[in-house]
Amino acid sequence: MTGRTHSPEETKSALHDVVVEMYDRIVKGEPPTMTLPVRTKNNITFNTRLGVYKYGKSTSVRDATSLRSAKQLLRALHVVEFIEEMIDAGKSSTLREMYYISEGWGHGKFGSQNESNNLAEDLEVVTKCLREDFKLRPEEDGARIIGNITLQERNRRGEWMRINARDDVGDSGYGVPYNVEAEKLELIEHDVDFIMAIETGGMFDRLIENGFDEDHRCALVHLKGQPARSTRRIMKRMSEEWDLPVVVFADCDPWSYRIHASIAYGAIKTAHISEYLATPTATYLGITADDIVAYDLPSDDLSKKDIEALNAELSDPRFQDPWWQEQINMMLELGKKAEQQSLAKYGLDFVTDTYLPEKLAELGLA
Amino acid sequence: MSEKRDIATRMAGNQKQASISEFFEKNKHFLGFDSLHRSLITAVKEAVDNALDACEEARILPDIKISISKADPKRDVIELEVEDNGPGIPRDSIAKVFGQLLFGSRFHAIRQSRGQQGIGITGVVMYSQLTTGKPTHVRSKIASETTAVEMELGLDTKSNKAIKSKEQRVPWVLEDGTEKASGLYVRCRMKAKFQRGKQSVWQYLRMTSIVNPHASITFVDPDGETTHWPRVTERLPRKVSAIKPHPHGIELGQLNRLAKATKAANLSIFLKTDFSGVPGRAVKEMCEVSGLVDAKGQPLKSRPGKLNPEQIRALAETFQGIRGYLRPYRLDHRGSRIYVADARRPGVPSAPIADAKHGDLLDALTEATIDDLLDIVTSRTDMHWEESLVELRSTVQSTHGDGPWNKQTADAISKHLRKTWDPRIVFEPVKLLKPPIDCLSPIEELLIKKGLSKTIDSRFVTTLTRAPAVSSGNPFQIEVGLIFGEGMPADSAVEVLRFANRVPLMYQQGGCMLTKAIESVDWRQYGLDQPGGNGVPKGPAAVLVHLASTNVQFTSEAKEAVADNEEVREEARKAMLELGRGLRKHLEKKKKLAKTQEKFELITDILPAIAEKSASILGREVPTLAGSITKIMNAVIAQEATAWDKESKRTNVEISLSNYTAKARSYTLLANWPQREGATMVDNDRGGRSEMTGVWAWKLETLKPGESATITFALDGLEKGDWTETEVFYRGAGDVIGATKMDDALLKELRRQEEVLTEGEDGGQDDEAPQGDATPSAVEVAVPDSAPAEVAAEAVAPSGNILDWTEGDA
Repeated sequence: MTGRTHSPEETKSALHDVVVEMYDRIVKGEPPTMTLPVRTKNNITFNTRLGVYKYGKSTSVRDATSLRSAKQLLRALHVVEFIEEMIDAGKSSTLREMYYISEGWGHGKFGSQNESNNLAEDLEVVTKCLREDFKLRPEEDGARIIGNITLQERNRRGEWMRINARDDVGDSGYGVPYNVEAEKLELIEHDVDFIMAIETGGMFDRLIENGFDEDHRCALVHLKGQPARSTRRIMKRMSEEWDLPVVVFADCDPWSYRIHASIAYGAIKTAHISEYLATPTATYLGITADDIVAYDLPSDDLSKKDIEALNAELSDPRFQDPWWQEQINMMLELGKKAEQQSLAKYGLDFVTDTYLPEKLAELGLA
Repeated sequence: MSEKRDIATRMAGNQKQASISEFFEKNKHFLGFDSLHRSLITAVKEAVDNALDACEEARILPDIKISISKADPKRDVIELEVEDNGPGIPRDSIAKVFGQLLFGSRFHAIRQSRGQQGIGITGVVMYSQLTTGKPTHVRSKIASETTAVEMELGLDTKSNKAIKSKEQRVPWVLEDGTEKASGLYVRCRMKAKFQRGKQSVWQYLRMTSIVNPHASITFVDPDGETTHWPRVTERLPRKVSAIKPHPHGIELGQLNRLAKATKAANLSIFLKTDFSGVPGRAVKEMCEVSGLVDAKGQPLKSRPGKLNPEQIRALAETFQGIRGYLRPYRLDHRGSRIYVADARRPGVPSAPIADAKHGDLLDALTEATIDDLLDIVTSRTDMHWEESLVELRSTVQSTHGDGPWNKQTADAISKHLRKTWDPRIVFEPVKLLKPPIDCLSPIEELLIKKGLSKTIDSRFVTTLTRAPAVSSGNPFQIEVGLIFGEGMPADSAVEVLRFANRVPLMYQQGGCMLTKAIESVDWRQYGLDQPGGNGVPKGPAAVLVHLASTNVQFTSEAKEAVADNEEVREEARKAMLELGRGLRKHLEKKKKLAKTQEKFELITDILPAIAEKSASILGREVPTLAGSITKIMNAVIAQEATAWDKESKRTNVEISLSNYTAKARSYTLLANWPQREGATMVDNDRGGRSEMTGVWAWKLETLKPGESATITFALDGLEKGDWTETEVFYRGAGDVIGATKMDDALLKELRRQEEVLTEGEDGGQDDEAPQGDATPSAVEVAVPDSAPAEVAAEAVAPSGNILDWTEGDA
């Protein structure tokens, strides 16, 4: 990612700082430690210059006084060594491959893939490098896009390949690669008025079948749940480079609110690179808590976990906006949640003929 | 040899008969023969119970072999063979033992025994005959005869007589060519089904072996698969003596029978000799209370058998404490009762006036006068004494006048009578002694432990034998055990192993009082899952309850569930609570240990790896770790390992103490050891001294930061599984992970426990120090040195160079 990646030397030096911290502590006769920013909602603050949420100043010290954190430190050392080897050898690996490679790390072996993913993120945050610098690739699922936009992607032979995401793709749309930086992907041209990000595959397919993208001159992005970094990054690029509005169309439950927050304000886990991933102008289209009442949608009771999540959101700095507070409280009062597909209560075309046009009109996009 | 003959003959001589063969035939479902599957278990059970009882009585260590084979698989016909090495049955008694119901010494003697009602093996003979028409084959050899006798037995259920056939004398030669000394072999064919699972022959035998650790049991199932439960102790159960019945447990009908059957020449002798717990004083009192006295107030001289039904009833009421003495008392100036020595009179108390209906009393008192008062009171209760009536009269007269009283006054008087008036009389049944308790044979804690460990593989076992107690004249004793740990399913209900007089109870778990006792405990506080805090708890555990009693009351003839009895249940519950506390202690210890283990893994594996890896990435030297280790551990840690050594037949104990703090430490370590159980301490190279019976103490050298000390010794004279965990104590400053601080309170508690154990022991065990390799100077009587045996931190100068001497806990 041009502009924000680091040279191999810079990366190695930043990683060494982590190792030095541990080494020096041992030399001093203290338990080794690793200092890293607190990665919870309590430590993200709004950066007015960037318009997104970034980590604050709180740090936590992981010290080797418990077996668990001692193992974390050892794993970090193994990962550092592994990254250095890859940098030197000009190789890269997926996070999953690294997880399997750790089988040979003795006591430093990962217990689960989640652990290795988290540790890679920890190192990103501590060193301010990116996993691209570490030569680590995600295997997370990129988004699908359908709409009249044209971009060009460098294929495996290094040639640029021009793709129109309406005419040159099948029903599954254009698959977003994990690297969407300029060296890999260029945005060429478009003939749309806005971008709509959709949470579920069912709804994405419904809108395509109903020809919504053409009727309403938009590009549809299937988020596949919590969107991958590359999905968020490509939306940000389209929004910035083409100056297009982004709307988010999701279920009405606490997790959908979080999906929107990660698109618009920055995700807690990746707050160190929010300015590259978040699209501050993105707007939440629906389904809102009001919609459940206004459209009399079929709904389910909130689970205990849902309620916990909503209460957590009430104190999440990203949801301090009065509109969000109102929506969250309303959902809590209703005690109900609804899926996007609940709109099918009124027929298959209701969403494209009635619901979305009405909601878009509210935003002045219809 | 002749002694064995005596035993066999005497056992046979005790047997009396009862004639209810027909009853059995009609009611076989009550007796455990209600389904094909259950019939087989019952048959095995009756045969094995008999074998165990006979061996126990003849003081033989039982070897029992049970084989089951399918004689005719198509028609569910099963052949059962049971062979034991017991005393055998004399030829002339065989037919009676196998052919008559309720023929058994046990039915008439009161002591703890397995087949309590003698329905036993005859039922098996009968069931076989009824279902297959086949007689039961019996071979028996008693020690005094050179050959065994063989015969086939059937049963005439109308006359309650055995039908004998094919009787012959045979030599009994064992597989190895030697002759069998004594024993019994039974083979029968019955309609039955063999099954596996929770209620199966296998499970019954497994449970039997748990509570009969002295027995060796071998089982061959229809597939030819053999299971062997070995003998884990050579100690036979304590010989129990039969006791006479205690009056508190006797019903009218039983008393009637006893009176008719007694050889006693008169009532006094009858009461004195045919019952337990009746001292001479009580004989006279019982007669007096029952109205069985002559004009001079002396007990009637009549034969017990000549008593009329009314007299028997009165005596039974005295036995049950319905009749007794009404005893007056007066109050002293402090309000304490002083009993009037000679003023008691026999009687059956009527209801106290407090039980009289208020309405009735009110009606009687309204419009009555002071002269009616005493008639009204005495006609409604004889719970009064003359003196208190006089007092009552004057109190009422002075408060309410002479009457006639109106309704309101009558109401006040009635209230006074029912709530305030003290009749100055109490009811006292004739005081009896408790029945003797040597008629019980508990398994005892250590053997339960062995029995449990033998069949269930797990690390933690706790057992408890409560002191004997008495309920309704019947001595009883509760024993419990709990085994916990790996190898048992964690998410299902714990296995409940119920026993009555060493007999497994396999059916009707829910309806059994022993189960209810388990359910009455809130196991959640002891570390087991128990939804809602009631019911059988869940977790990787098995709970054993054994009720030993001269008279186990079952809910039905099938003898599968113990009937409720508050006193017994309460004993069982208390025992469960005790087990729970043991379990909690164990779990807490385990948790602490796991944490310690983690720390050890951290400093021995992880930390060195961090040091090496960071050094290699940076291309620097590997740093020393001592300082970091101290900071990470920041504790003194005691570790204990107790292990059985097959080669030396000893239990090896190793205790180590490591100082992972930044200060020098000095401690005295103490450990418990099974001195009372007869173990000797050997190879104790560090010497030390006896702190008290069962607790040894070693004063350790001062440990500098990072240093460790190890104590090793071995225990001789134990069997495998006797001693699996050593408890470690310490004296000194700060905390020691893995050891308990020995302070005055704990020492006092240990001494108290010791005293309890020593109590009642004949001769009293001396507190001699154990024999062994302990240095002579160390063998001295314990001195409670709560004075600091520890040279605390300040006494020792620092020696490390990277240690932070300003930190650390002192």
